[in-house]
Amino acid sequence: MKVSRNWLQNYFADPLPSAEKIADALTFHAFEIEGTERAGSDDVIDVKVTPNRGHDALSHRGIAKELSAILQLPMKPEVDPFAKKPDFSKKADAVSVTIEDAGLCRRYIAGHITGVTVGQSPDWLRQSLESIGQRSINNIVDATNLVMFDIGQPLHAFDAAKLGSLQIGVRHAREGERLDALDDKTYALTTAMLVITAGDVPVGIAGVKGGKPTGIDETTTDIILEAANFNGPTMRRTAAALKLSTDASQRFQQVLSPELAGYGMQQAVELITAIAGGEVRGFVDEYPNPAKPQRVSFSATQTSKLLGISVSPDDIKAALQRLDFAFEESRGAFSVDVPFERLDLTIPEDLIEEVGRLIGYEKIPAQELPASPKSPAPNENFAKAETIREQLLEKGYSEVYTSVFADKGEVAVLNKIDSVRPFLRSNLLDGLTEAVKKNIPHKDLLGLREVKLFEIGTVWKDGKEEVHVASVGEKEKPEERPLADIEAGSTGELPLSKAERYYPFSRYPSITRDIALWTPADTDKGDVRHTIVNTAGPLLVRIDFFDEFKKDDKISYAYRLVFQSPEKTLTDDEINGQMDEVYAAVKSKGWTVR
Amino acid sequence: MPRGHMHPISSLIREANQIFFRMGFALAEGPLLEDEWHNFDALNVPHDHPARDMQDTFFIKDRQGHVLRTHTSNVQIRYMEAQAKAGNPPPYRIIAAGKVFRNEATDMTHEAEFFQLEGLAVGEDVSLANLKGTIARFYHEIFKGADVEVRFRPSFFPFVEPGVEVDARIQGPHVPEKLNGKWIEMMGAGMVHPNVLTNAGVDPAKFQGFAFGMGLDRLAMLRWGIDDIRLMHSADLRFVNQF
Repeated sequence: MKVSRNWLQNYFADPLPSAEKIADALTFHAFEIEGTERAGSDDVIDVKVTPNRGHDALSHRGIAKELSAILQLPMKPEVDPFAKKPDFSKKADAVSVTIEDAGLCRRYIAGHITGVTVGQSPDWLRQSLESIGQRSINNIVDATNLVMFDIGQPLHAFDAAKLGSLQIGVRHAREGERLDALDDKTYALTTAMLVITAGDVPVGIAGVKGGKPTGIDETTTDIILEAANFNGPTMRRTAAALKLSTDASQRFQQVLSPELAGYGMQQAVELITAIAGGEVRGFVDEYPNPAKPQRVSFSATQTSKLLGISVSPDDIKAALQRLDFAFEESRGAFSVDVPFERLDLTIPEDLIEEVGRLIGYEKIPAQELPASPKSPAPNENFAKAETIREQLLEKGYSEVYTSVFADKGEVAVLNKIDSVRPFLRSNLLDGLTEAVKKNIPHKDLLGLREVKLFEIGTVWKDGKEEVHVASVGEKEKPEERPLADIEAGSTGELPLSKAERYYPFSRYPSITRDIALWTPADTDKGDVRHTIVNTAGPLLVRIDFFDEFKKDDKISYAYRLVFQSPEKTLTDDEINGQMDEVYAAVKSKGWTVR
Repeated sequence: MPRGHMHPISSLIREANQIFFRMGFALAEGPLLEDEWHNFDALNVPHDHPARDMQDTFFIKDRQGHVLRTHTSNVQIRYMEAQAKAGNPPPYRIIAAGKVFRNEATDMTHEAEFFQLEGLAVGEDVSLANLKGTIARFYHEIFKGADVEVRFRPSFFPFVEPGVEVDARIQGPHVPEKLNGKWIEMMGAGMVHPNVLTNAGVDPAKFQGFAFGMGLDRLAMLRWGIDDIRLMHSADLRFVNQF
């Protein structure tokens, strides 16, 4: 989520540190930072809020709260949107709210405001939204968006006159229902989705997008403001099915506290009446099962034991105070009243994490485990795999891993993204045989007489999963058998790869040329090789000596030359030209090409 | 006949096993085609978790409730379950290595099938400090005696609490230049969530432990400077024969 440093500053009396310092503080004590960007007189910090903190931290207030705890900067109490309990005792007589399934909509607050003046937002509001990449629309819509980015509660404003009825409902969409949404698209709804209705007519896709016909425009004077709590998984599936992920649906899908809706309504009503005027006629707050406050207990002993450092009751007290949590302490045992928005804090370990990350994980030393009381049991299957691996390596086979996905097999994958090779393999030989073929053109390049491959891998055959070992060579008989049939040999410390590093190779095909020469018997073999290499040019990537024989006073030497370019496919003509230079050079030495 | 070439992943698994064996870790294993209990539920990944959506996980036709495992963490559950059933309480120390699967498009750094190395240590007082020490020792050895610093950043995985992202800074003569002296994100880890212990039959009131999971392909890429993860599964000897 994009966070504006200026926006955060509103929460603090003292100046915040630089964007880099803020990013560092969050990185090592809270969240990963995707990046920071200078934007005019502001800095925008892109915070990657973890899924367990989507309840509270996809908001400027949530991030401010984190910074307050991490940097030990007190927040201004009077600006906290959660400081004042919302009051919805004034009833909106003209409005009713009916929730079909309270499991999917835990709370729905409708606020009725009449006589507003829709227009441009004040500069501060427009700039706040633009600083985090949002477009200003009008003062009413901007107010709802500001509240969402400020405290994390999505809201929606309907034009009350266009609703037709102020009987608001939340229900499953019916087969065949469609909605013209604010993004000028029409969405076909399914019964798995929730809609907001007015007089039973859908006017919004709950928690995702409002309807176009009931949107706010310059003619709007009366509004119904919605602050609700929708079921997270339903929102996620709806957004995915409609391919319509919005800032609202992203927040709902993280699961929000229904308490948050109250604060969202309170803040939005205050802001709207301040910038657009109007009269608050009242509220309907449908909230059948109010959230219960959570209390979690843990101790200093538990904390020390889990983190592996000594954490005193005073350390914990300091951390909880920095987090602004209400708690009771008795001899190192703490009972914490979890703030309603922190749905992630349910067990002692959750609070130990809070304490640990505030103390700082850099304080935790790297401490090896004590010597093991018992020697680890050897793994029989691994011993078998290592035994056969060594045997095959010794026989000149090289090891590959091929895909478990195949064109045919007994077990099929339901949802392969590319629909290619949708089965799980029932043998290794098919894949290995294909791999051998693929490698044959590179034999000269690699200086191999024969391609020989093996694999130790899983197959699904005869209704069960088992590990097989298979080997295939150009001239060898293919073999495949269950690893279980291998007899495990001794399992001392076996050799490891000695490679220091990997060198990228050219993906272009190579061209091979053999050359055999008659030379006088007293010719130095090194001189022959040298002469060839010196004239074969930069495209020569490999030269292998492969034959030598003596006849009378002459010796024949034969070499295999491999040419390859790092940037193109070579032609025979190019290499023939290069070979002519080699022939000329050896002739000038008095040697004869056979 | 010259000796053939071992795949770099096999060499890494062999080496990791040697290092962890010396630290008292046994090698454990589990199936690739796994039921949702061992791959998700037991690991505290709830039914509604996004990872369980169709787009991220390979599901199996005509076998409801089965997936290609998305991590090696299923082995944690399978191992602890078996030990509990056999009446062997902790301490437990295991690693597991093998193929895991993600239903995603492939590119130079993403593969639908790749290798993971999992670690689990459970005992009466196995701590986050022990996690740091164990990981530091592993990198020290796998990078041939290099100087290793390990740092944690807060993170979140459903099967651990606290959860951390592990960075390492490795310095030494055998460390590739791209890596040498720089903080590199290495893996996810944390203290085993009490629900996971309970689900596997271990009493979280008596025992606690750490778990980590790292990508072996990524480790191989860092260790040898390999530029494309797809080479690991290419069966191309121009690649394998360099090892």
